[in-house]
Amino acid sequence: MTIGKLAKLAEVSADTIRFYEDERLLMPANKTEAGYRLYDEDAVRRLDFIKHAQHCGMTLSEIRQLLELKADDSSCCSDVRSLAIRKKLQLEQKIRAMQAMSQALSELIGICTAEDQPLDDCPILAALESSMANQHRDSH
Amino acid sequence: MSIKVEVFSTPGCSHCDRARDSLKTIAEAFGEHQVTWRDVNLLDELDYAVKLGVLTPPSMAIDGELVFAKLPSAAQLREALTRRLDRQRT
Repeated sequence: MTIGKLAKLAEVSADTIRFYEDERLLMPANKTEAGYRLYDEDAVRRLDFIKHAQHCGMTLSEIRQLLELKADDSSCCSDVRSLAIRKKLQLEQKIRAMQAMSQALSELIGICTAEDQPLDDCPILAALESSMANQHRDSH
Repeated sequence: MSIKVEVFSTPGCSHCDRARDSLKTIAEAFGEHQVTWRDVNLLDELDYAVKLGVLTPPSMAIDGELVFAKLPSAAQLREALTRRLDRQRT
């Protein structure tokens, strides 16, 4: 099938498919004499695989690793599981970091009680400036 | 007070099991009064593993601090434990 048909079936754009080719995630099965890309049914399944992996937070590089593991007869399920566990740990670390950021913002919002104060008296800006000054002092 | 060694891994990793067992032997040679060993299934204690910053299991923490993001060699572990025990004595 052509790139246009594949794009429609997999509900992605043709540009995305070309990008995946640049990223060595999805190669055409063949090319016409005129140089047009041709794909087989496997390409649809591969694009679904990529979409699902992205949904789990995998980067293109990690998806490439997964696809390589999938194609490698010597790899086993525990290799894939290890990769998934490492990804989960990364995500959990990010969630924690974002929760800390959210908490820091809650504290700033909490100190700002008046909504009609002039900008110069804004406690959030003042708190950010003083924490920046502290950081600057600590780094020296 | 004994040094607490914790190894974070997941069940079913035969490579981890082999590496961990040889390191455990080294830790146990110091005696339980000096070094205690705990195997941590990181899926059971994910919050604790994340808190310590475990990203690439198997990893090793000593006294609640992630010291080896990847498992150390036998010599590295022996050296790290000896150094800590020396520090405790002084």
